[in-house]
Amino acid sequence: MDSQAFIHQKFAEFYEENASRIEAPPSIRQREFGFMVFQENIMVRHKSFKDAEALRTYMKEAAPAHAYHSTAYYELPEERMENKGWLGADLYFDIDADHIATKCKETHDQWTCKDCGFGGKGQPDVCPACGSRRFDQRIWPCDECLGAAKRETIKLVEMLTAEFGFTDDEVEVSFSGHRGYHVHVAAETARDMDAGARKELVDYITGTGLNTALFSPEAAPPASQTAGWQSRIANGAYEFLRTATAKDLESLGMKEKRADSLLSNRQLVLKIWEKSGPWRPVTGIGKEELKLFVNRAVENTSSKIDTMVTTDIHRLIRLLNSLHGKTGWLKVAFPTSTIDAFDPLKGAVAFKRGEVKLYVEKTHRFRIGDEWYGGYENQRVELPTAAAVFLLCKDAAKLVD
Amino acid sequence: MALTRIELAKYPFVVDAAEEVKREDLDITNLENPSLKAIVDRAQNRIDEALRYSPPTVSYVPREEDVEIPSFPVAIILAAASNSDYIKRRYALAEARRAYELLREEDKEKILEVAKVFNWKIRTPTTSAGRRRFDFALFFVDYLRNAEVFHEDEWKLVNRTLASGEVYLNRREAARLLQEEIRKRIEKRLSANVRSMLPEAILQRVDGLSQKYASRIEKARLSMFPREVVNEAFPPCIRLFYGSAKTGTHISHLGRFTLTSFLINVNMKPEEIVNLFRASADFNERMTRYQVEHIAGDRGSRTKYRSPTCDTLKTHALCPGPDELCKTIRSPLRYYSQKTRTLKK
Repeated sequence: MDSQAFIHQKFAEFYEENASRIEAPPSIRQREFGFMVFQENIMVRHKSFKDAEALRTYMKEAAPAHAYHSTAYYELPEERMENKGWLGADLYFDIDADHIATKCKETHDQWTCKDCGFGGKGQPDVCPACGSRRFDQRIWPCDECLGAAKRETIKLVEMLTAEFGFTDDEVEVSFSGHRGYHVHVAAETARDMDAGARKELVDYITGTGLNTALFSPEAAPPASQTAGWQSRIANGAYEFLRTATAKDLESLGMKEKRADSLLSNRQLVLKIWEKSGPWRPVTGIGKEELKLFVNRAVENTSSKIDTMVTTDIHRLIRLLNSLHGKTGWLKVAFPTSTIDAFDPLKGAVAFKRGEVKLYVEKTHRFRIGDEWYGGYENQRVELPTAAAVFLLCKDAAKLVD
Repeated sequence: MALTRIELAKYPFVVDAAEEVKREDLDITNLENPSLKAIVDRAQNRIDEALRYSPPTVSYVPREEDVEIPSFPVAIILAAASNSDYIKRRYALAEARRAYELLREEDKEKILEVAKVFNWKIRTPTTSAGRRRFDFALFFVDYLRNAEVFHEDEWKLVNRTLASGEVYLNRREAARLLQEEIRKRIEKRLSANVRSMLPEAILQRVDGLSQKYASRIEKARLSMFPREVVNEAFPPCIRLFYGSAKTGTHISHLGRFTLTSFLINVNMKPEEIVNLFRASADFNERMTRYQVEHIAGDRGSRTKYRSPTCDTLKTHALCPGPDELCKTIRSPLRYYSQKTRTLKK
């Protein structure tokens, strides 16, 4: 049996048993659904279902590699795009480790240039051999990447609740099933927002378009209250300086001598910042150096969301409690308050029974649940189904009959 | 809402259109009736003012409520009957600007009342946000719906005081946002098709206005771009995307869309645009042609797409960095129109 057929079979078994776990998005009749089906490798779009039961039946029968639904609500979800009749869309955020620079990618992500065949590790912009930008990539989810995505998610959720005023009930956080997190805001008050308004919201979350000249000392907020970027930057710069080592300051781009003298002056500067914020040069921090602090505060307190997902009001997003065809993991939601403790490599495991024999060419070490596996190189192994399906989805192993 | 007649004369748009006509006993098929002459004269004058002055405005005439109040719905009918987008846009803007000038002199309670007409979630905060005092706190969705068209940094959400879903505003800012809301409401009312219902004498007045300002209307209609594409006038972003397309280097989806919609807007032929993408390794002629024609409005929704603004390109990290001219404009198309003009000289 080839890998694709095997994965399809496993997905079908899973849905046969667990289709009842699939939750329909609110107002299911007004949603467009899309599926990536096995074998044909094509996207089936413009589908709709009258209720959750119809959707579950479809999932059992088709067992797709990927299942999506629109963030939008449509009058006629099965029509062509221009005739659907857009009625509104949930607010949606996607945070993917792909968009965050992590050092570990240098060890576990591989690429091969489609044009010249040259290859290597990491995530290059252009092929160093021929300058092409077209790659075959083998990306690998790991604890460090997932941790980085989680930190960005926590910052986003804080902004959505503290600044945008959404309640915990309105904000649903989920693990995407691969390398990131999704945040879904189904608040009715936000549905009408057009793409332009969502763009402004995205700029707020990423800290794009800031003009700190508009922030004045009189308006410096108390540290206890977050009331916009003015306080984000003031608090962020303050926190950074409060705990900074000489090395941290040099990482900003400060000269060694300047850094040392600032550290000896630290308490004084912090006092001034408590009063009037980091908006004006003070002894030890010149105008250009101040910018470095502000930039670091923006970097540390903004959230690296995928800007395209949130501004696209016709987007398809992954169905909750469905399997991800690149990992065999589930997209799962969890209470916002438990995000710190949430372990995606436990919470998203779908296959819990049986073992599978594989031949593995080469893999990194990886973890599923509490178990670590590999790294393997040119060897036969027998692995629990979850680990085996993961390697097969990643095209890192072959079935052994 | 309990508004006095004086206030109704100031803010006539707060009244629901159907109710208004009933209340003032207006029959639009009977507008040539001599007893209505003063009202129709003033209605025509409202539009005339909007077209005559720059920036457009409508005067406020105190103590003439009996004419002022009904002249507004009549002016709406006249402007709608012009079938000219230019006249409609101008007139809506003029009325909205008039309302702004009046509103900013009002006390907070009056502004709240007008805002409630548009279902804004707005309140006057009792505590200060941060250390500054503000007059109003407005739900951010209501804020963005109106502020997203403003381009000054101080209107960008990222530069505002924002807490618990509310944007903090002073009186002038609240009035300015209301101006935008009012403008949109009036523009919406102006889309009604009323020409066939109007008596001949009234239509003559409307057409008289169109003729009087014909040269301006024509000027606004004419494309601001030259017939032939001037590559030297491309802004840095388009130059980059264009170069990438020619050499077959990968361009992101939004980058492709920006390039294609830009080229269509500056009058490049769809055929030439399709050819431009030929170097790309995954070129598919049928698909590319479909997409180009779709963006040109020859297919599908039949809307010709405008090219994304600088702001949008910055949001998605596609702006390669501004040159001097970039700093004075807000969209790649604007850049092109400015540059072609200076190149001609």
